[in-house]
Amino acid sequence: MLNVTINTKKIQVPEGSTILQAARQMGVSVPTLCNMEKREAIGACRVCLVEVEGARTLAAACSTPVTENMVVRTNSTLARAARRQVVEMLLSEHDGNCPTCGRSTDCELRALAEEMGVSHLPFEGIKAKAHIDSSTPALVRDNAKCIKCRRCVTVCGEVQGVGALFPQGRGFQTVIGPAFTRDLEGVACVQCGQCAAVCPVGAIVEKSQIAEVWKALDNPKLHVVVQTAPAIRAALGEAFGYEPGTRVTGQMVAALRRLGFDGVFDTNFTADLTIMEEGTELLTRLKKALVDKEPVALPMFTSCSPGWINFAEFYFPQFLPNISTCKSPQQMFGAVAKTYYADKIGRKPEEVVVVSVMPCTAKKFEAQRPEMATNGVPDVDYVLTTRELAKMIKEAGIDFKSLPDEEMDAPLGLSSGAADIFANTGGVMEAALRTAYEIVTGRELPVDNLHVQAISGLEGIKEAALTITGTKKEWSFLEGVELKVAVSHGLANTRRLLEYIRAHGATYHFVEVMTCPGGCIGGGGQPRFTDDSVRLKRIAGIYREDESKKMRKSHENPDVKKLYADFLGKPLGAKSHHLLHTHYHHKEK
Amino acid sequence: MNAPVIKRISSVAKLGDLRERLRAQKPAGGGSGTRQILVCFGGSCLASGAKEVRDALRLALEAEKLGDQVALVETGCMGPCVLGPVVMVGEDRTFYQGVKPGDASDIVKQHICGGKRVERLLVYDAAGKTPAPCREDIEFFKRQTQIVLRNCGWIDPERIGDAIARDGYAGLAKVLTECTPEAVIAEMKASGLRGRGGAGFPTWLKWHLARESADTVHYVLCNADEGDPGAYMDRSVLEGDPHSVIEGMAIAAFAIGAQQGYVYVRAEYPLAVERLSTAIAQARACGLLGANILGTQFSFDLEIRMGSGAFVCGEETALIASIEGKRGEPRPRPPFPAQKGLWGKPTVLNNVETYANVPAILQKGGSWYASMGTPKSKGTKVFALAGAVRNTGLVEVPVGTSLGELVYDIGGGIRNNRHFKAAQIGGPSGGCIPREHLNVPLDYETLADLGAIMGSGGLIVMDEDTCMVDVARFFIEFVQEESCGKCVPCRVGTRRMLEILNRICEGQGEMADIDRLIQLGHFIKTASLCGLGQTAPNPVLSTIRHFRNEYEEHIRDRHCRAGVCAGLVRAPCLSACPVGVNVPGFVSLVGEKRYAEALRLHRERNPFASVCARVCFHTCEDKCRRASLDEPVSIRGVKRFMVDQEVTVQVPEVRENAANAKRKVAIIGAGPAGLSCAYFLARLGYQPDVFEAEPRPGGMLVQAIPAYRLPREELAREVRMIEHLGVTVETGCALGRDFTLTSLREKGYESVFLAVGAPLGVALDVPGANAHGVTEAMSFLRQYNIRGSVPVGKHVAVIGGGNAAIDAARTAIRLGAQSVTVLYRRTREEMPAYAEEIEEALQEGVTLRTLVHPESFEVEGGRVTGIKCRAMKLGEFDRSGRRRPEGAEDAACEVLPADQVIVAIGQALDEKALAGAVEVERTSRGWVKADPRTGATSAPWLFAGGDVVAGPSSVADAIAAGERTAVAIDAMLTGAEHAFWRGYSDPGVAFDTSADPVAYSREKLPAMPLERRRQNFAEVEQPWNESTAVRQAKRCLRCDYGKQPCDCGQA
Repeated sequence: MLNVTINTKKIQVPEGSTILQAARQMGVSVPTLCNMEKREAIGACRVCLVEVEGARTLAAACSTPVTENMVVRTNSTLARAARRQVVEMLLSEHDGNCPTCGRSTDCELRALAEEMGVSHLPFEGIKAKAHIDSSTPALVRDNAKCIKCRRCVTVCGEVQGVGALFPQGRGFQTVIGPAFTRDLEGVACVQCGQCAAVCPVGAIVEKSQIAEVWKALDNPKLHVVVQTAPAIRAALGEAFGYEPGTRVTGQMVAALRRLGFDGVFDTNFTADLTIMEEGTELLTRLKKALVDKEPVALPMFTSCSPGWINFAEFYFPQFLPNISTCKSPQQMFGAVAKTYYADKIGRKPEEVVVVSVMPCTAKKFEAQRPEMATNGVPDVDYVLTTRELAKMIKEAGIDFKSLPDEEMDAPLGLSSGAADIFANTGGVMEAALRTAYEIVTGRELPVDNLHVQAISGLEGIKEAALTITGTKKEWSFLEGVELKVAVSHGLANTRRLLEYIRAHGATYHFVEVMTCPGGCIGGGGQPRFTDDSVRLKRIAGIYREDESKKMRKSHENPDVKKLYADFLGKPLGAKSHHLLHTHYHHKEK
Repeated sequence: MNAPVIKRISSVAKLGDLRERLRAQKPAGGGSGTRQILVCFGGSCLASGAKEVRDALRLALEAEKLGDQVALVETGCMGPCVLGPVVMVGEDRTFYQGVKPGDASDIVKQHICGGKRVERLLVYDAAGKTPAPCREDIEFFKRQTQIVLRNCGWIDPERIGDAIARDGYAGLAKVLTECTPEAVIAEMKASGLRGRGGAGFPTWLKWHLARESADTVHYVLCNADEGDPGAYMDRSVLEGDPHSVIEGMAIAAFAIGAQQGYVYVRAEYPLAVERLSTAIAQARACGLLGANILGTQFSFDLEIRMGSGAFVCGEETALIASIEGKRGEPRPRPPFPAQKGLWGKPTVLNNVETYANVPAILQKGGSWYASMGTPKSKGTKVFALAGAVRNTGLVEVPVGTSLGELVYDIGGGIRNNRHFKAAQIGGPSGGCIPREHLNVPLDYETLADLGAIMGSGGLIVMDEDTCMVDVARFFIEFVQEESCGKCVPCRVGTRRMLEILNRICEGQGEMADIDRLIQLGHFIKTASLCGLGQTAPNPVLSTIRHFRNEYEEHIRDRHCRAGVCAGLVRAPCLSACPVGVNVPGFVSLVGEKRYAEALRLHRERNPFASVCARVCFHTCEDKCRRASLDEPVSIRGVKRFMVDQEVTVQVPEVRENAANAKRKVAIIGAGPAGLSCAYFLARLGYQPDVFEAEPRPGGMLVQAIPAYRLPREELAREVRMIEHLGVTVETGCALGRDFTLTSLREKGYESVFLAVGAPLGVALDVPGANAHGVTEAMSFLRQYNIRGSVPVGKHVAVIGGGNAAIDAARTAIRLGAQSVTVLYRRTREEMPAYAEEIEEALQEGVTLRTLVHPESFEVEGGRVTGIKCRAMKLGEFDRSGRRRPEGAEDAACEVLPADQVIVAIGQALDEKALAGAVEVERTSRGWVKADPRTGATSAPWLFAGGDVVAGPSSVADAIAAGERTAVAIDAMLTGAEHAFWRGYSDPGVAFDTSADPVAYSREKLPAMPLERRRQNFAEVEQPWNESTAVRQAKRCLRCDYGKQPCDCGQA
């Protein structure tokens, strides 16, 4: 332990603590900007400058380790003035068009300016050079707003292991962006949007489709339906002042209805459908491998997360055959809505508009993939992020907090608890196990409260093994097999896992990959700001949603059963194959 | 490369044997001792043709059949880069400079074969008279102590044998056999060596910390990413003696337990990379790198990593990131590289110069090294002398050597007889040291106190042609481009500083900008992430600290005194003229023979065209850009011709103004300041009264300046012109005697301009000063010039070095003195008198004795008979940047016989005249305190200007003060400024922008033959004829052409 004095108060902190950690330990707040949870401090932004007795310069609290008997003043005139001046400098470089910026109400720079008492800019001069990169369907980058804090660089490079964003150039000409000052389209960006999630200002945001959705809603000739991803319900409330993890499913449904959607449905419905298809696919692969001894790609990977698909296409094409051929729940929903549902309500597919509300920016990309269309009609027309939906609700003047709870519409609105947990890392796997185990053995998955603890939580790579006994006759080839599964979230973890598998062969049967840390609840389109404590609250909220339902297994969903009975036939059947499955291809970087 | 193949050296003993063998067959290449030619192959000499010289020498040797008897060695940098290509011949080290291929046969035939030096290629002293034939005779080398550069210029860097013969790897051998790592570090501690990269961290401590860091792998890195503008110490060492660096790194590796090292060199140093690569390969082949060095257990190898030229990669963490293949930018420290460096391993990182010291320290011992330098900074430091100094090049001196010694003794002073203004030390992280501090010892602490840093050793010397604001702007532009852009204070802050400086240099600055720069500078220094940002504002802060007045001039007066800032300088001559005369205008009008217009244009700003054509010190010519082609335009010569063409007096616009004419303005003193003020007031319609104490108007122009320089009629004509504008000049009317300031006020004068000058001489306070025959220059000159006669002795001594001394001397010569001796306590270079006046005086027979100080006057019977003088020598630099004369106690005294002594050591106010009811505020030096821009004093109605405010200064300065005060008086009386003459005046002359400059060279004004000058006061200088004058006028390059009109005249 080290002794340190902060603002005349003495405390003891563990060796290796930074000044920032010491200050926080004693409840002294020091502002930060570039600093990121669990990442090595880079000391770039300097808004955490504090005075250290005897030091030649001010110290960045985030990156300066405490030494024995260090005396720190976070609040001296010098430190306060320097911190203010740093923010003044940032503002002088920043384009400053706050009123028209999408981040005007939750901009960290604005908040810092207010906190530090910036009243005017004593040093004005040229601004950062503007360049708007809207080359991808998912993201828009605006260099004029970028303050070079490099959170996006850190998250892209270290958390996601993608490294599409770098500092380039020198001095005032420094820009953050893809290599060789290309646009994102020109590099191997997976469009996960984690950069947009961590950006403190409006420099990286999702490409908005709000206007298109309003236009569709305003068109009386169109039948506009909406699907909401599992992760929305535990996060949307944050945009209206609720605690993270607060479940607002019913109010969300009410709000969507008030926005004018003709059908308010649930991606959860197709999450249940996915379990049916993907579970069957897994069992089929296992049969091929164990019984038919055919060469078959194992482990099988989940395919729900479009950022992961992009990642595999760019970086790990050798694993593409391992990825489940199932479309993601979003795309399955669109395909079903424009066929089964359209037919039901007597509309042509072209007259049905499918709007998704997703926690994700990569979903915007996914929706416009050529693979994701049926007979030339895209499965999904527009994708909104959670944040965009919140904006629409506000724009429409809906008082969200006073809304009553309402129910989703039939027939695409009913879902199981297993579908809810698709939002969490480990959730798809757990949902699949609930169903697959029961199909194979006829018994419920023998774990406490149906939760597979080993694969839940924020550990980067998780694994579980389950020995299957007492199989039904038709699944007897699985008798005694130890089913091994792994779960990764965050693409840097995924990269590690894939490299392990590449080195050690098919050590697992089934692997769930989610692009974003924590799974979809930590997606790039979720309300800001997301850190681990927020992730854990959302995860808990989702589990509560699951547990609150009577129906907690996908194969129990009666409407899914009906869908098979009336329309699809059976999992992996011809119709399913046509509508619900696809293939992916290697993309050159 | 024809180096003999050297086999692997398997033991320390064998290294010793080899060294002895190599020494015996010295020099390398096989020639005998006297028969060796060293050709400098340093970067600078190569650029000026060293290769061609080497080829020519080889051919010349072969022609004399000496090809295998005389060794031709290509060495690294010898040091004096300005003299290149340089060649050193024979055992006595005859040093040849500026050698051309055509000189090769002379060197071979005359020197090698004939044993006779080639005189014309030798280095000469500053006066160009005495040769310094050998290296040891040359001032540049004499004062150096070369440790780092011990082998540079002596060995062929591409032949390891040369290095071994000069004790290369002896230090390593000693370490490997005799020392423990701890002992090596202890020796380094004893040496007191501090990191030569700039920050000066104790080298031993860095090694110690790295050694203490528990890890199995350690690294040794060498920082050769030298990037300061003007610095090339490390490059020269790598190019000239790479083995010392390799050896130093190997020793460091031994001390910290490293097996691998990297040298990080800029890719812009291809020659250094090539020679270092060769050296590494040779060292490896010899077993001096690699496994089991010299047969011991110690293994160490080296690789080169090339940097792509980012300045910030000189910062250690950025350098490490760059080697690791990452973007070269700094990270927060701690952890320091000694704890966590390259690939997370404990790493020692020193620069080239630091490592080059190490072998010598280990070989000769730490205490040997510590015997040089200052108590806190030991050893030597290499500097790259660059800029306005005569001997640019690479020098190595003990730490603590004074800046003045470096600039004057080694550097040979300032080129082109300019004056030292400042030295920029430490590159973009450093600061400027002004001439007040020429005496400071160059060590880490002293420089830091002055706001500079030692840095890596770049030392750029600047003269008066350097604008300090522009210098600051240059460096901040450099760092803001080279900032890695990571941290906000450096990325944005330096940019904002640059913007402010750009504004100031363009004439858009505000006074508050100076404080803004200071505030921003301190913020960037304390808030930035790495050393680059923490030092980036230094050039700005140090120039503000030492040259704040230049910033103020840029902002307040829109004036750049150096004539550099384009936005403030229409033409450098115009900008340099205190009065703001449109120089290119009148010169080019003369070129078109439009003399009347030229005169009127001149008198727009300066009524005394004829006076100034004779006595102006022409600062305009000092700044003339034609000098960069050949010599400055002779502006005063053109002016002299112009004024001689005046038939009817040319007066520019005068605006009659009945209201102004009624207002009473008094001007006290009819010198150039008072009369100019009257002139400009008259052009605004005033009719001021000028009161002059002496019987004739003109002030110093008539009282002090002799008629042979300024014929009286010329002055009288221009005074009459001023009187004709409505000015009344009342002579014989003295302040304090005939009237007082109070009485003027009582008579209804609304404003008074006090321009009484500094008419009194200063007496010399030594024994015998009251003797008969001792006088002072002002009264001597005044008596002759006003009364027409003054007693003159036979043997006259004049004490002093200013213009008054020379005027008195030349007057005495003309009045029949048999001998006139001017005594001055410093040297001729330091004399304040105009150089051309001194030259004329010497031609007329005046004797100049410098470095003498009058101790006392010899007196017999109340009459002076001689002066007892003590010999002086120049000591340390004083605050004026000149060497202070010091009389040693035992210095010889001599008595110079003289029956008249004229003391000319200064001028003073006439206190009696000033004494009166009105209390006038004074400066600390006794002059009247007045605003230099307006002449305003502490009393609202009273203005002052000229010598009474500034002390003795030039005619042009006095005229400028008069003009400024006229504008200020008018503004005070009317509440507005009406200086219509200050705007831009287009001369309306043709100028062919596509034509080449005319080829005519500068011509002197003809002078009256010497034999006709004695005994009379006829004007010495004669005008040109018309064709010469027109030709000379056409030499003007018209720097003003196309420049936007700006009101940047000195107002």
